[in-house]
Amino acid sequence: MTTAQVTMTTAPETLTKAQKILQGIQEKFGVALISAENPRPDRLFLKVRREEIRPITDYVFNTLKGRMVMSIGTDKTPVDGHYEVSYLYALDAEGIALNLKELVPENDPVVPSVAGIVTYANWNEREVYDLLGVKAEGHPDPRRLVLADDWPDDVFPLRKSVPYNFKPPVRDVKPPMRELTEREKKSTIVNVGPFFPTLEEAASFRLFVEGERIIGADYRGFFAHRGIEKLTDNVLDYNQIPFMAERICGICGFVHSACYCMAVEHAAEAEVPPRAQYIRAVMMELERIHSHLLWLGLAAHYLGFDTVLMQSWRIREPIMWLVEAITGNRKTYGLNLPGGVRRDFTNEHCDKILEVIAKIEKEAGELVAAAAEDHTLKMRLVDVGRLTPEDARLLCCVGPTARASGVNIDARKDFPYCAFPDLKFKPAVQHTNDIWGRLLVRAEETFTSIDLVRQMLARLPEGEIMAPVGNIPPWREGVGVAEAPRGECVHYVETGHDNRPYRWRVRAATYPQLQAVPYMLEGMHVADFPIIVGSIDPCFSCTERLITVDRGNANKLRIYEKKDLLAMSRRRTQELR
Amino acid sequence: MISKIKEALICLRAPRVTFRYPLEPMPAPARFRGRPTIDGAKCIGCGACAAVCPPRLIDIHGEGTTRTVELNFSRCTYCARCQEVCPVGAMQCTTDFETATNDRANYSVKVELAAVACQSCGTPFITQRMQQKLMAEFQPAWMQQRNELPEWLSLCQSCRVEKTGMTMGRNIKNG
Ligand code: SF4
Ligand code: SF4
Repeated sequence: MTTAQVTMTTAPETLTKAQKILQGIQEKFGVALISAENPRPDRLFLKVRREEIRPITDYVFNTLKGRMVMSIGTDKTPVDGHYEVSYLYALDAEGIALNLKELVPENDPVVPSVAGIVTYANWNEREVYDLLGVKAEGHPDPRRLVLADDWPDDVFPLRKSVPYNFKPPVRDVKPPMRELTEREKKSTIVNVGPFFPTLEEAASFRLFVEGERIIGADYRGFFAHRGIEKLTDNVLDYNQIPFMAERICGICGFVHSACYCMAVEHAAEAEVPPRAQYIRAVMMELERIHSHLLWLGLAAHYLGFDTVLMQSWRIREPIMWLVEAITGNRKTYGLNLPGGVRRDFTNEHCDKILEVIAKIEKEAGELVAAAAEDHTLKMRLVDVGRLTPEDARLLCCVGPTARASGVNIDARKDFPYCAFPDLKFKPAVQHTNDIWGRLLVRAEETFTSIDLVRQMLARLPEGEIMAPVGNIPPWREGVGVAEAPRGECVHYVETGHDNRPYRWRVRAATYPQLQAVPYMLEGMHVADFPIIVGSIDPCFSCTERLITVDRGNANKLRIYEKKDLLAMSRRRTQELR
Repeated sequence: MISKIKEALICLRAPRVTFRYPLEPMPAPARFRGRPTIDGAKCIGCGACAAVCPPRLIDIHGEGTTRTVELNFSRCTYCARCQEVCPVGAMQCTTDFETATNDRANYSVKVELAAVACQSCGTPFITQRMQQKLMAEFQPAWMQQRNELPEWLSLCQSCRVEKTGMTMGRNIKNG
């Protein structure tokens, strides 16, 4: 649909939400808008002139109250001589995903930076430069983000000319450090990492510390960047990617494969049978229940409440057995393919699900009640790791992290997918802006999920579970959005030839949340550090080393192992008792 | 303090949750997707499994008149896609999950099948079983009875293309 058609063929009162938004942009920016597509009521794909991206961004972010989801950089030079740089926004109130795409000529790979308007664009633009070589002009901190420090400066892996298995030689290069403020220069620097206890990514934080207090932090991560998006170049095809997507996260993998499949189904305009939609949604909610119980245990563990860890993981385990019996594996369910799901629920499965969640409801209820009354626990969490609603919005945080800061967004409500249009629930929102709030949000969500599963099983549609997608025409775009336990998960697919996407882009919830961590750390005790980072639920697991640098004598390194870090955090709990 | 008592009660009421595995066997559920294996008596060497395997662990290669279907499941993702697409039920994901071994060769399953030669150029191009299966599914009964091979099943791809090209050329010439 061209922009002209929208205005000519439709009277104002019959305009859909998306068309109204499009009209607003058209009136305000006129020729800056090159083309517009509205393939589904809740998707709006615009091509805009890159010279005008700043005012348009300002309008979308500040006037339309859009939330930036991610940037997408695509190398289209073999097709039409352009790089494409897109910013995907979620207009949560309207439930519309809005994509702003800039065409960037091959001989001038530069776009104006919008990080001054949307703080969250910071990482997104650095990532586009790292992977595609399109520079964000005027970026406040254009350090390398995604690629390894010793990766060659002039090789941009997402360019189609770079082979997927290209391996540059190892070099000895120092990691990029940011400029320190005067105050930070005088502070003690505490290095945490490079193997930070997060399951998906090894990460490194530099904390600037005055006495016990953290005054600033810098982050370097992506050490485990696996380049899976590149595999769509010529390795994986449409039906193989779900199994790759499922391995993005070590806990909530199912939501990734579901989200990818939704993106492909949207692009292919394929209908998924209702029963498959419900099965997907049930599995996603089961995943949320076990993920939140896992988090509760870990959070308590960092604070020294190991009974809560033991009990919440014990309570969680029956879900793992349940999904194993249904799908064939306790973690990688392998259920999703574009078009539906591969294995059906039997009646016995449904009964078993109800039985397991009833037990969890009772046991988790008791555990949460006991933990919530725990005075010491509360003291460790209230007013710790604060994130104001304003910062949460500027950093485009999602999930429990955003909802605990009063940002009322939930993809299940705002972008209802699978079975969610039929279901009744209220997103859990807290206004405490701290870790205590994040705990309350997750606790409430666990019980909401139990209720949602009951609602779904009570009305589980009969019928097929898979509808063949058929041949997928090239150059279609699809965006899959789903609420993962950690927050909104988004997959973007642009279809290509040879039965595989031309571009596949993934944004997991931890991407915005991690950028918020330095804000949460400010003014906090070093001993609060593990629980603050843990509060965004980045899947803690890998072992950790913490190095303090004595600035008087740079050779004198103190190395803290994970146990020291834990001991420090726990000592603080003891002190409070 | 009350919360501590509550926590203690929860712990005391909790039943034993660990298993005696590996001292006692622990069978996996029926739908479990475990170690894949190929039933050599059934496999026809069609290659469907090789085409769908995400980590590309199944290889079909030929030497002379044998075609080998080789599965090396050391990097298997246990997706069971191979099992799903196998037209004859030869590929099966068992419920076996104890795959630790000291010898990498234990991760490999090989099925060797006889291949038939192209009637025109003599290159082996298809497994015997595949040819039989195709014949059983697509040939009219009278042809099967006379055990007659249709041309399209007895020529390799390049000869078939050449032949079709010639026929087409003739047809065009003849109007
Ligand atoms: S189960 Fe999946 S990964 Fe394993 S051999 Fe079969 S197709 Fe390949
Ligand atoms: S195992 Fe099945 S799918 Fe694979 S080659 Fe043999 S018959 Fe074909």
